[in-house]
Amino acid sequence: MTTTVVELWTQEPLLRFVGQASARLVVVMTPAGQVLAQHGFARAVDLMGVAALGAAIMASSAALADLVGEPRYGTIFHAGQRHGIHLAALATPRGPLVALTVFGRETSIGLVGFFFEEFAAALRSAAPAQPARGPILAENFEAELGQSLASLFRR
Amino acid sequence: MSLVNFTTREITCKIVYYGPGRSGKTTNLQYIYSQVPNERRGRMVSLATQTDRTLFFDFLPLDLGSISGFTTKFQLYTVPGQVYYNATRKLVLQGADGVVFVADSQARQLDENIESLQNLHQNVLEQGVDIRGLPMVLQYNKQDLPRDLVLAPAELDDALNFRSLPSVPADALRGAGVFETLKAVSAEVLRKLSQGSAGREG
Repeated sequence: MTTTVVELWTQEPLLRFVGQASARLVVVMTPAGQVLAQHGFARAVDLMGVAALGAAIMASSAALADLVGEPRYGTIFHAGQRHGIHLAALATPRGPLVALTVFGRETSIGLVGFFFEEFAAALRSAAPAQPARGPILAENFEAELGQSLASLFRR
Repeated sequence: MSLVNFTTREITCKIVYYGPGRSGKTTNLQYIYSQVPNERRGRMVSLATQTDRTLFFDFLPLDLGSISGFTTKFQLYTVPGQVYYNATRKLVLQGADGVVFVADSQARQLDENIESLQNLHQNVLEQGVDIRGLPMVLQYNKQDLPRDLVLAPAELDDALNFRSLPSVPADALRGAGVFETLKAVSAEVLRKLSQGSAGREG
Protein backbone atom coordinates (compact mmCIF):
# COMPACT_ATOMS: atom_id res chain seq x y z
CA MET A 1 0.00 0.00 0.00
CA THR A 2 1.36 3.42 -0.90
CA THR A 3 1.79 6.22 1.58
CA THR A 4 2.66 9.69 0.34
CA VAL A 5 2.97 12.91 2.26
CA VAL A 6 2.96 16.44 0.93
CA GLU A 7 4.11 17.74 4.31
CA LEU A 8 6.79 15.63 6.00
CA TRP A 9 5.67 16.26 9.59
CA THR A 10 2.54 14.21 8.90
CA GLN A 11 4.42 11.05 7.91
CA GLU A 12 5.31 9.46 11.23
CA PRO A 13 1.90 10.00 12.90
CA LEU A 14 0.16 8.73 9.74
CA LEU A 15 2.19 5.52 9.48
CA ARG A 16 1.68 4.79 13.17
CA PHE A 17 -2.08 5.35 12.91
CA VAL A 18 -2.41 3.16 9.80
CA GLY A 19 -0.60 0.31 11.59
CA GLN A 20 -2.43 0.63 14.89
CA ALA A 21 -5.94 1.09 13.51
CA SER A 22 -5.53 -1.28 10.51
CA ALA A 23 -6.93 1.46 8.30
CA ARG A 24 -7.26 0.78 4.58
CA LEU A 25 -7.32 4.38 3.35
CA VAL A 26 -6.43 7.57 5.20
CA VAL A 27 -6.43 11.14 3.89
CA VAL A 28 -5.29 14.17 5.88
CA MET A 29 -6.43 17.37 4.20
CA THR A 30 -7.29 21.01 4.66
CA PRO A 31 -10.98 21.94 5.04
CA ALA A 32 -10.88 22.98 1.35
CA GLY A 33 -9.92 19.43 0.33
CA GLN A 34 -6.20 19.98 -0.32
CA VAL A 35 -4.35 16.78 0.55
CA LEU A 36 -1.42 16.89 3.00
CA ALA A 37 -0.90 13.13 3.39
CA GLN A 38 -2.49 9.86 2.30
CA HIS A 39 -2.28 6.14 2.65
CA GLY A 40 -3.75 3.58 0.26
CA PHE A 41 -4.27 5.47 -3.01
CA ALA A 42 -2.30 4.67 -6.15
CA ARG A 43 -3.27 7.73 -8.24
CA ALA A 44 -3.22 11.34 -7.07
CA VAL A 45 -6.22 12.23 -9.23
CA ASP A 46 -8.36 9.50 -7.58
CA LEU A 47 -7.28 10.71 -4.17
CA MET A 48 -8.34 14.28 -4.96
CA GLY A 49 -11.92 13.17 -5.62
CA VAL A 50 -12.15 11.40 -2.27
CA ALA A 51 -10.64 14.42 -0.51
CA ALA A 52 -13.12 16.78 -2.17
CA LEU A 53 -16.06 14.65 -1.02
CA GLY A 54 -14.69 14.22 2.51
CA ALA A 55 -14.11 17.96 2.86
CA ALA A 56 -17.62 18.60 1.52
CA ILE A 57 -19.20 16.27 4.09
CA MET A 58 -17.40 18.02 6.93
CA ALA A 59 -18.21 21.47 5.57
CA SER A 60 -21.90 20.71 5.07
CA SER A 61 -22.14 19.09 8.54
CA ALA A 62 -20.56 22.18 10.09
CA ALA A 63 -23.03 24.42 8.24
CA LEU A 64 -25.94 22.26 9.43
CA ALA A 65 -24.62 22.41 13.00
CA ASP A 66 -24.55 26.20 12.78
CA LEU A 67 -28.13 26.26 11.50
CA VAL A 68 -29.50 24.16 14.35
CA GLY A 69 -27.37 25.89 16.98
CA GLU A 70 -25.13 22.93 17.75
CA PRO A 71 -21.38 23.02 18.31
CA ARG A 72 -19.54 21.70 15.25
CA TYR A 73 -19.66 17.92 14.85
CA GLY A 74 -16.06 16.89 15.47
CA THR A 75 -16.43 13.33 14.24
CA ILE A 76 -18.76 11.68 11.73
CA PHE A 77 -19.04 7.92 11.26
CA HIS A 78 -20.70 6.04 8.42
CA ALA A 79 -21.15 2.28 8.77
CA GLY A 80 -21.21 0.19 5.61
CA GLN A 81 -21.51 -3.46 4.61
CA ARG A 82 -17.79 -3.90 3.92
CA HIS A 83 -16.25 -0.55 4.77
CA GLY A 84 -16.75 2.05 7.47
CA ILE A 85 -15.81 5.72 7.14
CA HIS A 86 -14.54 7.86 10.01
CA LEU A 87 -14.30 11.60 9.35
CA ALA A 88 -12.95 14.04 11.89
CA ALA A 89 -11.92 17.67 12.15
CA LEU A 90 -8.89 18.68 14.18
CA ALA A 91 -7.22 21.98 15.02
CA THR A 92 -3.42 22.21 14.66
CA PRO A 93 -0.88 25.06 14.73
CA ARG A 94 -0.84 24.74 10.91
CA GLY A 95 -4.56 25.46 10.82
CA PRO A 96 -7.74 23.34 10.84
CA LEU A 97 -7.44 19.93 9.19
CA VAL A 98 -9.78 17.09 8.27
CA ALA A 99 -8.89 13.39 8.42
CA LEU A 100 -10.83 10.72 6.52
CA THR A 101 -10.28 7.05 7.40
CA VAL A 102 -11.74 4.07 5.54
CA PHE A 103 -11.57 0.75 7.36
CA GLY A 104 -12.76 -2.82 6.83
CA ARG A 105 -13.93 -5.73 8.97
CA GLU A 106 -10.41 -6.45 10.24
CA THR A 107 -10.86 -3.57 12.69
CA SER A 108 -13.73 -1.68 14.32
CA ILE A 109 -15.03 1.86 14.79
CA GLY A 110 -14.03 1.64 18.45
CA LEU A 111 -10.40 0.88 17.62
CA VAL A 112 -10.27 3.46 14.85
CA GLY A 113 -11.74 6.10 17.16
CA PHE A 114 -9.38 5.17 19.99
CA PHE A 115 -6.23 5.33 17.84
CA PHE A 116 -7.51 8.41 16.02
CA GLU A 117 -7.32 10.37 19.28
CA GLU A 118 -3.60 9.50 19.49
CA PHE A 119 -3.18 10.33 15.81
CA ALA A 120 -4.81 13.74 16.25
CA ALA A 121 -2.63 14.50 19.28
CA ALA A 122 0.51 13.48 17.36
CA LEU A 123 -0.46 15.71 14.43
CA ARG A 124 -1.14 18.64 16.75
CA SER A 125 2.22 18.16 18.39
CA ALA A 126 4.17 17.79 15.12
CA ALA A 127 2.46 20.54 13.09
CA PRO A 128 4.55 23.62 12.39
CA ALA A 129 3.02 27.09 12.45
CA GLN A 130 2.08 28.40 9.02
CA PRO A 131 5.23 29.89 7.41
CA ALA A 132 5.31 33.01 5.22
CA ARG A 133 6.12 32.43 1.60
CA GLY A 134 7.89 34.28 -1.19
CA PRO A 135 7.60 33.95 -4.96
CA ILE A 136 7.22 30.35 -6.18
CA LEU A 137 7.08 30.09 -9.94
CA ALA A 138 9.48 31.63 -12.40
CA GLU A 139 8.16 34.83 -13.94
CA ASN A 140 8.16 33.26 -17.41
CA PHE A 141 5.96 30.30 -16.45
CA GLU A 142 3.31 31.10 -19.06
CA ALA A 143 5.04 29.41 -22.01
CA GLU A 144 5.26 26.17 -20.00
CA LEU A 145 1.64 26.53 -18.91
CA GLY A 146 0.56 26.96 -22.54
CA GLN A 147 2.48 23.81 -23.53
CA SER A 148 1.04 21.81 -20.60
CA LEU A 149 -2.54 22.79 -21.41
CA ALA A 150 -2.06 22.17 -25.14
CA SER A 151 -0.77 18.69 -24.31
CA LEU A 152 -3.67 18.15 -21.90
CA PHE A 153 -6.19 19.00 -24.63
CA ARG A 154 -4.13 17.17 -27.25
CA ARG A 155 -3.76 20.30 -29.38
CA MET B 1 -5.61 28.55 -1.04
CA SER B 2 -3.16 26.66 -3.24
CA LEU B 3 -0.96 24.04 -1.64
CA VAL B 4 2.74 24.17 -2.51
CA ASN B 5 5.26 21.52 -1.50
CA PHE B 6 8.88 22.49 -2.06
CA THR B 7 10.15 19.03 -1.06
CA THR B 8 8.22 17.12 -3.70
CA ARG B 9 7.83 20.26 -5.86
CA GLU B 10 4.08 20.04 -6.24
CA ILE B 11 1.42 22.71 -6.59
CA THR B 12 -2.31 22.05 -6.16
CA CYS B 13 -4.80 24.81 -7.01
CA LYS B 14 -8.57 25.02 -6.62
CA ILE B 15 -10.59 26.71 -9.37
CA VAL B 16 -14.34 27.28 -8.99
CA TYR B 17 -16.75 27.72 -11.91
CA TYR B 18 -19.46 30.13 -10.69
CA GLY B 19 -22.52 31.60 -12.38
CA PRO B 20 -26.32 31.51 -12.62
CA GLY B 21 -28.32 28.30 -13.06
CA ARG B 22 -28.08 26.67 -16.50
CA SER B 23 -25.29 29.00 -17.65
CA GLY B 24 -23.06 26.03 -18.58
CA LYS B 25 -20.70 25.46 -15.63
CA THR B 26 -21.14 21.69 -15.58
CA THR B 27 -20.94 21.63 -19.38
CA ASN B 28 -17.48 23.23 -19.16
CA LEU B 29 -16.26 20.46 -16.87
CA GLN B 30 -17.90 17.75 -18.97
CA TYR B 31 -16.18 19.04 -22.08
CA ILE B 32 -12.79 19.18 -20.32
CA TYR B 33 -13.36 15.64 -19.01
CA SER B 34 -14.14 14.41 -22.52
CA GLN B 35 -11.00 15.94 -24.01
CA VAL B 36 -8.32 15.15 -21.45
CA PRO B 37 -6.48 11.79 -21.62
CA ASN B 38 -7.44 9.32 -18.90
CA GLU B 39 -4.03 9.34 -17.27
CA ARG B 40 -4.17 13.12 -16.80
CA ARG B 41 -7.52 13.28 -15.05
CA GLY B 42 -9.43 11.62 -12.21
CA ARG B 43 -13.05 10.58 -12.11
CA MET B 44 -15.53 13.43 -12.51
CA VAL B 45 -17.72 13.57 -9.43
CA SER B 46 -21.18 15.14 -9.83
CA LEU B 47 -23.46 15.61 -6.86
CA ALA B 48 -26.63 16.33 -8.82
CA THR B 49 -30.41 16.03 -8.47
CA GLN B 50 -32.38 13.36 -10.35
CA THR B 51 -32.88 15.90 -13.13
CA ASP B 52 -29.13 16.47 -13.41
CA ARG B 53 -29.14 19.93 -11.82
CA THR B 54 -26.06 20.46 -9.67
CA LEU B 55 -27.02 19.97 -6.02
CA PHE B 56 -23.68 20.47 -4.27
CA PHE B 57 -20.84 20.53 -6.80
CA ASP B 58 -19.14 18.88 -9.73
CA PHE B 59 -15.48 18.07 -9.27
CA LEU B 60 -12.75 17.23 -11.78
CA PRO B 61 -9.08 16.79 -10.83
CA LEU B 62 -6.50 17.49 -13.56
CA ASP B 63 -2.77 16.87 -13.75
CA LEU B 64 -1.24 19.71 -15.78
CA GLY B 65 2.28 18.28 -15.71
CA SER B 66 5.42 20.24 -14.89
CA ILE B 67 5.46 24.03 -14.79
CA SER B 68 8.60 25.81 -13.64
CA GLY B 69 9.78 22.50 -12.21
CA PHE B 70 6.63 21.98 -10.14
CA THR B 71 4.18 19.14 -10.76
CA THR B 72 0.98 21.14 -11.08
CA LYS B 73 -2.49 19.81 -10.32
CA PHE B 74 -5.79 21.66 -10.64
CA GLN B 75 -9.03 20.84 -8.86
CA LEU B 76 -11.97 22.15 -10.88
CA TYR B 77 -15.28 22.65 -9.04
CA THR B 78 -18.66 24.01 -10.08
CA VAL B 79 -21.23 25.49 -7.72
CA PRO B 80 -25.01 25.01 -7.96
CA GLY B 81 -26.32 28.06 -9.78
CA GLN B 82 -29.87 28.12 -8.48
CA VAL B 83 -30.52 30.99 -6.08
CA TYR B 84 -31.66 28.87 -3.11
CA TYR B 85 -28.42 26.85 -2.97
CA ASN B 86 -26.36 29.74 -1.61
CA ALA B 87 -25.26 27.85 1.51
CA THR B 88 -23.59 25.18 -0.60
CA ARG B 89 -22.06 27.77 -2.94
CA LYS B 90 -20.32 29.30 0.08
CA LEU B 91 -18.89 25.93 1.08
CA VAL B 92 -17.53 25.21 -2.38
CA LEU B 93 -15.96 28.68 -2.61
CA GLN B 94 -13.87 28.08 0.53
CA GLY B 95 -10.18 28.12 -0.30
CA ALA B 96 -10.66 28.91 -4.01
CA ASP B 97 -7.52 30.11 -5.79
CA GLY B 98 -9.39 31.32 -8.84
CA VAL B 99 -12.91 31.75 -10.20
CA VAL B 100 -14.40 31.38 -13.66
CA PHE B 101 -17.67 33.28 -13.84
CA VAL B 102 -19.77 31.55 -16.51
CA ALA B 103 -22.35 34.04 -17.77
CA ASP B 104 -25.33 33.10 -19.93
CA SER B 105 -25.11 35.36 -22.98
CA GLN B 106 -28.87 35.38 -23.60
CA ALA B 107 -30.24 38.93 -23.28
CA ARG B 108 -33.13 37.72 -21.11
CA GLN B 109 -30.64 36.22 -18.63
CA LEU B 110 -28.77 39.46 -17.96
CA ASP B 111 -30.47 40.10 -14.61
CA GLU B 112 -29.62 36.55 -13.46
CA ASN B 113 -25.98 37.11 -14.45
CA ILE B 114 -25.81 40.36 -12.48
CA GLU B 115 -27.50 38.79 -9.46
CA SER B 116 -25.10 35.83 -9.51
CA LEU B 117 -22.08 38.11 -9.85
CA GLN B 118 -23.27 40.18 -6.89
CA ASN B 119 -23.81 36.95 -4.96
CA LEU B 120 -20.22 35.90 -5.75
CA HIS B 121 -18.88 39.22 -4.47
CA GLN B 122 -20.94 38.90 -1.29
CA ASN B 123 -19.85 35.31 -0.63
CA VAL B 124 -16.18 36.09 -1.24
CA LEU B 125 -16.42 39.11 1.04
CA GLU B 126 -17.99 36.98 3.80
CA GLN B 127 -14.90 34.77 3.68
CA GLY B 128 -12.69 37.76 4.33
CA VAL B 129 -11.21 37.72 0.83
CA ASP B 130 -10.76 40.88 -1.24
CA ILE B 131 -12.38 40.06 -4.60
CA ARG B 132 -9.92 42.43 -6.29
CA GLY B 133 -7.09 40.07 -5.33
CA LEU B 134 -8.88 36.89 -6.44
CA PRO B 135 -7.80 35.65 -9.90
CA MET B 136 -10.92 35.63 -12.04
CA VAL B 137 -12.01 35.20 -15.65
CA LEU B 138 -15.41 35.82 -17.25
CA GLN B 139 -16.77 33.38 -19.81
CA TYR B 140 -19.65 34.52 -22.04
CA ASN B 141 -21.27 31.20 -22.85
CA LYS B 142 -23.95 30.32 -25.43
CA GLN B 143 -22.54 32.71 -28.03
CA ASP B 144 -23.61 30.13 -30.61
CA LEU B 145 -27.30 31.04 -30.14
CA PRO B 146 -28.99 33.32 -32.75
CA ARG B 147 -27.67 36.89 -32.71
CA ASP B 148 -31.04 38.38 -31.80
CA LEU B 149 -31.17 36.30 -28.59
CA VAL B 150 -27.71 36.97 -27.17
CA LEU B 151 -25.68 39.97 -26.13
CA ALA B 152 -22.34 40.48 -27.86
CA PRO B 153 -19.15 40.07 -25.78
CA ALA B 154 -18.63 43.86 -25.81
CA GLU B 155 -22.15 44.41 -24.42
CA LEU B 156 -21.57 41.78 -21.72
CA ASP B 157 -18.25 43.42 -20.86
CA ASP B 158 -20.12 46.71 -20.37
CA ALA B 159 -22.72 45.05 -18.12
CA LEU B 160 -20.56 42.66 -16.09
CA ASN B 161 -16.85 43.34 -16.47
CA PHE B 162 -16.25 46.44 -14.37
CA ARG B 163 -12.73 45.36 -13.46
CA SER B 164 -11.54 44.69 -17.04
CA LEU B 165 -10.93 41.02 -16.25
CA PRO B 166 -9.99 38.59 -19.02
CA SER B 167 -13.19 37.53 -20.81
CA VAL B 168 -13.76 34.68 -23.25
CA PRO B 169 -16.74 34.14 -25.61
CA ALA B 170 -17.74 30.47 -25.58
CA ASP B 171 -19.99 27.69 -26.78
CA ALA B 172 -19.23 25.18 -24.02
CA LEU B 173 -21.50 22.51 -25.46
CA ARG B 174 -19.24 22.22 -28.51
CA GLY B 175 -16.09 23.21 -26.62
CA ALA B 176 -15.46 26.61 -28.18
CA GLY B 177 -13.76 28.85 -25.61
CA VAL B 178 -13.53 26.16 -22.91
CA PHE B 179 -9.81 25.55 -23.36
CA GLU B 180 -9.14 29.30 -23.65
CA THR B 181 -11.07 29.94 -20.41
CA LEU B 182 -9.13 27.30 -18.49
CA LYS B 183 -5.88 28.64 -19.89
CA ALA B 184 -6.77 32.20 -18.91
CA VAL B 185 -7.76 31.36 -15.32
CA SER B 186 -4.74 29.05 -14.91
CA ALA B 187 -2.44 31.86 -15.99
CA GLU B 188 -4.12 34.28 -13.55
CA VAL B 189 -3.80 31.82 -10.65
CA LEU B 190 -0.20 30.88 -11.39
CA ARG B 191 0.74 34.52 -11.98
CA LYS B 192 -0.41 35.27 -8.47
CA LEU B 193 1.73 32.40 -7.20
CA SER B 194 4.71 33.67 -9.18
CA GLN B 195 4.31 37.00 -7.42
CA GLY B 196 4.41 35.22 -4.07
CA SER B 197 1.08 36.56 -2.91
CA ALA B 198 -0.92 33.35 -2.63
CA GLY B 199 -0.76 29.83 -1.40
CA ARG B 200 0.23 27.78 1.55
CA GLU B 201 3.67 26.30 1.86
CA GLY B 202 4.24 22.59 2.41
